[in-house]
Amino acid sequence: MYKLATEKLPELLQCWSQGATVYVPQKVGEVTLFRPFKGQGDLALGEGNTLEPPKDLFFPRTEKLYDYWASGKEARLEPVELHPDRAVLVGVRSCDARSFLLLDQVFLTRGYVDEFYKKRRENTAVVALACTQAAPTCFCTSFGIDPGRAEGVDVQMWPVPGGYLLEALTPRGEEMLKQASGLLAPAEGEKIPAPAQPSLQVELEGLVEKLQKMFDHPYWGELSRKCLGCAICTYLCPTCHCFDIDCETIETSGYRFRCWDTCLFAHYTLMAGGRNPRPTRKERLRNRLLHKLQYFVERYGQFACVGCGRCLELCPVNVDITKVIRDVKEVSL
Amino acid sequence: MSLQDKMRERARELLESGAVNMVIGWEKGTFWYLSPPAFITTPEEADRLVWDEFCLNNLSKYLLDYRNTDDKIALFVKGCDSRNVVRLLQDNQFPRERLYLLGIKCPGLKDSRAASLLGEEKRAELPLAPKCVGCTHPEPVIYDELLEAGVSGDLGSPEKRFEDVEKIEAMSYDERYAFWVNAYARCIRCYACRNVCPACDCRECIFDRTQTGWCGKQMGLTQNMFFAITRALHVAGRCTECGECERVCPQRLPIMTLNRKIIKELNALFGPYEAGVSLEAKPPVVEYRPDDPDFEERR
Amino acid sequence: MADVATGNPLVPMPARIVKIVEETPDTKTFYISTDQGKPFTPKPGQCVMLSLLDVGEGMFSVTSQGPDHLEIAIRKVGVLTTALHEAEVGQVVGIRGPYGNGFPVEEMKGKDMLFIAGGIGLAPVRSVINYCIEHREDYGHLWIIYGARTPTDLCFKEDLFNNWPKVENCRVDVTVDRADEKWTGPVGFVPPFVEQLKPSPENRIAIVCGPPIMIKLVLETLAKLGYNDEQIITTLEMRMKCGIGKCGRCNLGSKYICLDGPVFTFAQLKLLPSEY
Ligand code: SF4
Ligand code: SF4
Ligand code: SF4
Ligand code: SF4
Ligand code: FES
Repeated sequence: MYKLATEKLPELLQCWSQGATVYVPQKVGEVTLFRPFKGQGDLALGEGNTLEPPKDLFFPRTEKLYDYWASGKEARLEPVELHPDRAVLVGVRSCDARSFLLLDQVFLTRGYVDEFYKKRRENTAVVALACTQAAPTCFCTSFGIDPGRAEGVDVQMWPVPGGYLLEALTPRGEEMLKQASGLLAPAEGEKIPAPAQPSLQVELEGLVEKLQKMFDHPYWGELSRKCLGCAICTYLCPTCHCFDIDCETIETSGYRFRCWDTCLFAHYTLMAGGRNPRPTRKERLRNRLLHKLQYFVERYGQFACVGCGRCLELCPVNVDITKVIRDVKEVSL
Repeated sequence: MSLQDKMRERARELLESGAVNMVIGWEKGTFWYLSPPAFITTPEEADRLVWDEFCLNNLSKYLLDYRNTDDKIALFVKGCDSRNVVRLLQDNQFPRERLYLLGIKCPGLKDSRAASLLGEEKRAELPLAPKCVGCTHPEPVIYDELLEAGVSGDLGSPEKRFEDVEKIEAMSYDERYAFWVNAYARCIRCYACRNVCPACDCRECIFDRTQTGWCGKQMGLTQNMFFAITRALHVAGRCTECGECERVCPQRLPIMTLNRKIIKELNALFGPYEAGVSLEAKPPVVEYRPDDPDFEERR
Repeated sequence: MADVATGNPLVPMPARIVKIVEETPDTKTFYISTDQGKPFTPKPGQCVMLSLLDVGEGMFSVTSQGPDHLEIAIRKVGVLTTALHEAEVGQVVGIRGPYGNGFPVEEMKGKDMLFIAGGIGLAPVRSVINYCIEHREDYGHLWIIYGARTPTDLCFKEDLFNNWPKVENCRVDVTVDRADEKWTGPVGFVPPFVEQLKPSPENRIAIVCGPPIMIKLVLETLAKLGYNDEQIITTLEMRMKCGIGKCGRCNLGSKYICLDGPVFTFAQLKLLPSEY
């Protein structure tokens, strides 16, 4: 384990910037976002997670799949070069780190590998930052996530008085600490700080089994009355991964891209010909919640919620997933 | 009797008598600074209703969900909300006969985002909600009965609403461009600003019709700017300054600055007009007048 | 799997329309081939993503195949399918796949087969009918019951009236909702037609495809005739984009139609949410 003095943080980011782009939480206007480190900028590595989850590093909002030319009967296409740049993601909280493992399940398993995601994921080193204080909206521990120690990351950082402790967890992480050895001192006698203890908790025991019996329950209709059908809770959820594929043609050339999409939008399941199996917000909000709390568990064996609290914090009408979990346990069938 | 008790009592009575079958108000949410919408359909549930300084949601938008039903609805309206009701009535979006309006003299509400940061101990010191600053009509402009709120707060002078617009106007063209580009580069097109807005009452929004080729679904600056401008112009003359769009924007984009710039321009071009204040006054951009100076000029 | 050149499942391979057959006023069958011959060899009931590069991409079932081509029957319903209907022989298209599970042709071995289809629903069923004909010795009696709105709306007329009736131990019954002057066959909807024909459930598997309402009523009819849920197979349709179980939209509960479907037994369907 090593220690980095607070004032050396920019130097560390600079050092990791060699041959890679470093993404680190920064203040942008009134919000905090992962942004490329360019030597300056308003670093925001204090407590709390970023407004947008870091998923767009691997699964960008919009990503080109290929270019094409089409004219009359002739047409050809040219696949894009898969994103080759190396990146280092610094300051990832344990909740978001878990979300990467869930996204891996989606994009890398079950018969097909998503090459775009895979390439970006492989080329990105992840440096986690432990939480010592939880926001009122945090409930990660309910999902077995340790705010003090992230899963599947290359380096773990902890905030301590005067700086940070760093520990490498993978060969790539060790390489990174070696690269920065001039800035680091052995951490002797330093104690890893106690992890945050979110006060918000949910009880997951029996949840899936209950939900399996609740598909036709009037609860969903009641709950969805206030929902606006916007995309806040899905676009800003670290585990949401739905996308659309569309194209943009200008005269004879164009490109096909994928971009984020959400099951809360009406046209998400709207079929050519006009049939829509999820015609109202009731079916759509139900799908979002069941996907997180039942379907994903059935398919991948884990909940697709990491308790980051973003949807709870940002939903304009306070659709609160923790309350949903509590309600579900109580409603009578 | 407190306003909250009065609200509960009236809701209960209206439901019991069968005058309405749904009351839309606010209830307590997950945290002390959240008072989200509540839909009350039985007299027993009336006690869920609350009134406090965080009843920010404009409930008039929900009328559109019941546009094609037979439901009779009682709606609580603050000043701004009531103006949106007028707008919806003007657009024939909801029949007045199926609507019972419980007006609330609004004392000005508090900033729930600031509340979440400051903590409950500072509840008494919270700043006014940004959407309430300079409010011109805290009292409902249309109602079937009026409920008084306890104290009425100082909402600041109406000119304050245009302070941010003036800042933008003072910028050079390039600065102004950079300002908007920087802001809307961050827009995630979650459409919360559109979905919460009671002035957005098109049956099908052009941004939901990606196959028409108007605006692609990709999230790029071009598309974002097109969305920003189109949304703002579509609510021109219909925006009541309820401030909901800006309040719900997760990226905290200055949407009201854009709306107010347009309001300012409309006032300059067509004379003073406030949307949704009177059922009779037609919005300037939907009215045809043969004596329109522009019309004369073109002839 | 899909694209040999890049190995990227979201990138199609270029192919051409080599033949177009007009089935009905709103349905055409497109024969698709690449310079190297058949793009790939789908199992009966599998689907492909077919694109006009500058218009869009859509999921279609493969209705049949030859040694060098795939056949895809497409009804004109939206922007992409309208553009496809305007395309001519020689048009370059993109194709990727094959996707989905396909019909359980192994489990069906040794059984009598009942195929019930309505309208364009015959397209996926035709792939498995042709498969059973090619592997004639593996399957028992073949019974095809098909209906369309009017005689002109009947797809694959050559198969219905010429090819299939000639197959040994195979019966074809065709009905229309509304007859025209020339039609002398049965008139009426598919579900009552099935009820009238009374195909016995004895050692038989029924494959049912068509408009959702037809499927629903046929399922009721089959239940009445004594079929159990394991004996009935159907295919589902959902809006699809990726085809590989990633983009999320085609889910029915925890199953993705593009990957785990489109073929389900009625018994499997009963365990899933009724959201289709
Ligand atoms: S739950 Fe909230 S954030 Fe999600 S779509 Fe509904 S209103 Fe928007
Ligand atoms: S569902 Fe909400 S709390 Fe859970 S991971 Fe997604 S945004 Fe975070
Ligand atoms: S949910 Fe847990 S890991 Fe995420 S920010 Fe909150 S305390 Fe940290
Ligand atoms: S609410 Fe904000 S982020 Fe969402 S679409 Fe509107 S401007 Fe963009
Ligand atoms: S089409 Fe994308 S998951 Fe099925």
